[in-house]
Amino acid sequence: MSTAIDQQVETFQEQFKRVRDEVGKVIVGYGEIIDGVIMSLLASGHVLLEGVPGLGKTKLVSTLSDVMRLKFSRIQFTPDLMPADITGTNVVQEDALGEKFLEFQPGPIFSNILLADEVNRATPKTQSALLEAMEERSVTVGKRTHKLDSPFFVLATQNPLEMEGTYPLPEAQLDRFFVKLKVDYPTIDSMHTIMNRTTKIKEPEVNRVLGQGEVLEMRKTVRAVPIARPVQDYAIRITLATHPQPPYAQPLTMKYVRYGSSPRGAQALVIGGKIRALLNNRVHVSCEDIRAVAFGALRHRILLNFEGEAERVDTDTVIKGILENTAEPS
Amino acid sequence: MSDKDTIIRWLERVERRIRANRLFQELTLGLTLFLTFPLALKIWDLFYPLRGRTITIVVGVWMVSFAAYFVWRLLQKETLGQAAASVDRRAGLHDEIKTALWFIYNPRASEWVDAQLQRAARSTRALDPERLFPRSVPRTFYIAAAMILVFVALNFVPLPWNHNWLTLQAAPAFSLTDKEEAALKQAVELLQKAEKLQKTELAERIEDIVQQLQQGKIDASQAAEMLNDVQSKLDEGNLDLGSINDGLEEIAKDLQSSDLTKPTADAMMQKQLDLAADELRKLAEKLSQNTPEANKDLQKSLQQASENPRPGLEELLKQLKEAAEALKNQDQKNAQDSLDSAAQELNKLEDQMQAQQLKNLASEQLQTLEQSLRQRQQNSQGKSQQQRGQQQKSQPGEKGKAGEKGEAQGGQPQAGQPGQDEPGDDERVPGENGEPQGGSQQGSGLNPSGQRGGNAPREGAPTELDVKLQQEKLAGMEDKGAKPEDIEEASKQERSKLDYRNVKSELSPAQKDLLNQDQIPWEYRPLIKNYFQAIRPPVKK
Repeated sequence: MSTAIDQQVETFQEQFKRVRDEVGKVIVGYGEIIDGVIMSLLASGHVLLEGVPGLGKTKLVSTLSDVMRLKFSRIQFTPDLMPADITGTNVVQEDALGEKFLEFQPGPIFSNILLADEVNRATPKTQSALLEAMEERSVTVGKRTHKLDSPFFVLATQNPLEMEGTYPLPEAQLDRFFVKLKVDYPTIDSMHTIMNRTTKIKEPEVNRVLGQGEVLEMRKTVRAVPIARPVQDYAIRITLATHPQPPYAQPLTMKYVRYGSSPRGAQALVIGGKIRALLNNRVHVSCEDIRAVAFGALRHRILLNFEGEAERVDTDTVIKGILENTAEPS
Repeated sequence: MSDKDTIIRWLERVERRIRANRLFQELTLGLTLFLTFPLALKIWDLFYPLRGRTITIVVGVWMVSFAAYFVWRLLQKETLGQAAASVDRRAGLHDEIKTALWFIYNPRASEWVDAQLQRAARSTRALDPERLFPRSVPRTFYIAAAMILVFVALNFVPLPWNHNWLTLQAAPAFSLTDKEEAALKQAVELLQKAEKLQKTELAERIEDIVQQLQQGKIDASQAAEMLNDVQSKLDEGNLDLGSINDGLEEIAKDLQSSDLTKPTADAMMQKQLDLAADELRKLAEKLSQNTPEANKDLQKSLQQASENPRPGLEELLKQLKEAAEALKNQDQKNAQDSLDSAAQELNKLEDQMQAQQLKNLASEQLQTLEQSLRQRQQNSQGKSQQQRGQQQKSQPGEKGKAGEKGEAQGGQPQAGQPGQDEPGDDERVPGENGEPQGGSQQGSGLNPSGQRGGNAPREGAPTELDVKLQQEKLAGMEDKGAKPEDIEEASKQERSKLDYRNVKSELSPAQKDLLNQDQIPWEYRPLIKNYFQAIRPPVKK
């Protein structure tokens, strides 16, 4: 019995590694980002990538779609982008008899992997078009709801510098992202590797190593990992500690935080912890797993108050304080 | 054994090991913390010796506290969850055992849970609790051991004022000065000698009083009172040595009239009563060899000698008289017996007089000791009053005036501080040790000739002394039969019928000797005379 489980875990690790290695052929020096993106995919979540232009965010997503045998779409968000440009719309068609009828033309959202590039440049109205799709995995146009194909995985990118003409993502939409990953500037060694790979005649090519069915199977495996109540309690206490209200509020959150994480944050912690446990050849979640995914899972779910904004406090600082002050279950 | 049982049993072993380690560590830490207290107390004891009762109470409280701490820590048990968490941390198992334990207590039908338990059981089999939680001697253990060593060493520090608590020694509640100890020792020795003669137990009683004083059961004033009682008992049945000596001299003079009793008389004149007794016995033995004339002289001599009534010599005189009468009746047998009895009386008298002399000496020493104790008690009371006075003076507006010397400053030894400031020191300076200071702003300032002068000794307030005298007089006359008023009135009206020799003196022989000594300097006599005249009650017209 346990042999089958061990086999399942082993397969999961192997498939995960294959995807990571293939993406790593193109994307250099972003191991944690790659892991985070794959984990989000396996957790049925979505990823918000934040970083200055030119760091390879779009390249990462396109490479991931290349590695997986999944349908990929890319939307460049601009201020004049309309919701219908994303979801699709009903267009008038004529049949052979000349009868006119409305036919739904699916938008780019009807894919497995959707790259929402510079998502904060579109208007809130357009951004909200993503809301239903991200959570419900469906799109309603007119009176008809269209189911999206599974897996549906949104990778949004945004630029933290050029804030003019941008529309910061609403809290409700931010909360729908499983993790927010910060793409930092690569190191000098990584830069050398990037130069070597991208300035030659032949660029590296990736193989498709994972299909739709395998992704769905891996998702089932993730959900099956058991978590003990004390560890789950630890994740919940961390989530509650992001709120400035007692009883779990900590001095740092009371001082700088306006709103804390929703229960989706705790879900992200637990599921992220399960994936990390599997990757570490374990069939149980530990507190260490929870801590490891806490930054990505909570940083976009914490809203700073005026004092926090004024003092340029980073949400990562708040999360670090919370992790340090939340005791592990004994 | 199932995986669950394996995990539970292994965790129980771990829990026991963790508890043992924790107990050892906590107890050594507790011991270290607790030991600081007796150690500090012992160091304190080296400078300010503590009484046995204080040490007993403190050490008792300490031991009870430590025992309570020990029991409290002993009863503190870890849960298996805590043990599991410890194992996870120590072995880096990433909450594997903790999770397994939770699933054991909260079973769930899942392949994954079974797999988790199986893995956890495998991990426990691979781990040895002895190696995971090895026994180690904490640093506090060495500290505690060092503290115990220091404590023991401090008890054996060869200082005269150090008391070894380990042999249940402690400072007495009241320590005698060298002078007092010498007086006590001498008094006891003298009394023991006297007791051999009279079989009283006063020496033991004195030792008991001093022991009680040193143990703090009584204070110095109570000890002084008890010593006073002992003196009173010593004085009970005192012989009037002067009267007896006079009587013996008179008897000796009378006995010199006969050649037969001349050796006896000579020995009596030299106060050698044992020799005199021997001479009497020889005389009794050779009585039959004497001529009738010689016996007649002897009879006259004895008759004359027996007619010297003196208190204390009644029995001797009676025997002499009986011997004289027997000789007169030519009853040699009775005469011999009477002379032997007289010899025995002389021996007895010799013993009594020796014992009396020893008792007198012992009484002197006791008097010295009693006065010393009273003085120390008064000085300590004066010191506490001075402290109270200083506290009152230190009230707002009074500060700065308290520094004037001569107002009964303490300077007296604390209990347990040997060799400091012995009472009765002749070198005491007026103004120190609670004595009134010459030249103070109170008093009338009469010089010895009764005139006022700058540096003359000053009179104090007469009322204070008057009250004191009255109190002393009343206290001294208590429980003595006749009321003081009766005696005083009888004396005033010159109708006292008491034989002055039968009036029992309240003074011990040592006190009498002291009174006979003229210690009042002539310069002070007019002053004292004026003083007593001033406090004399007015004569009713």
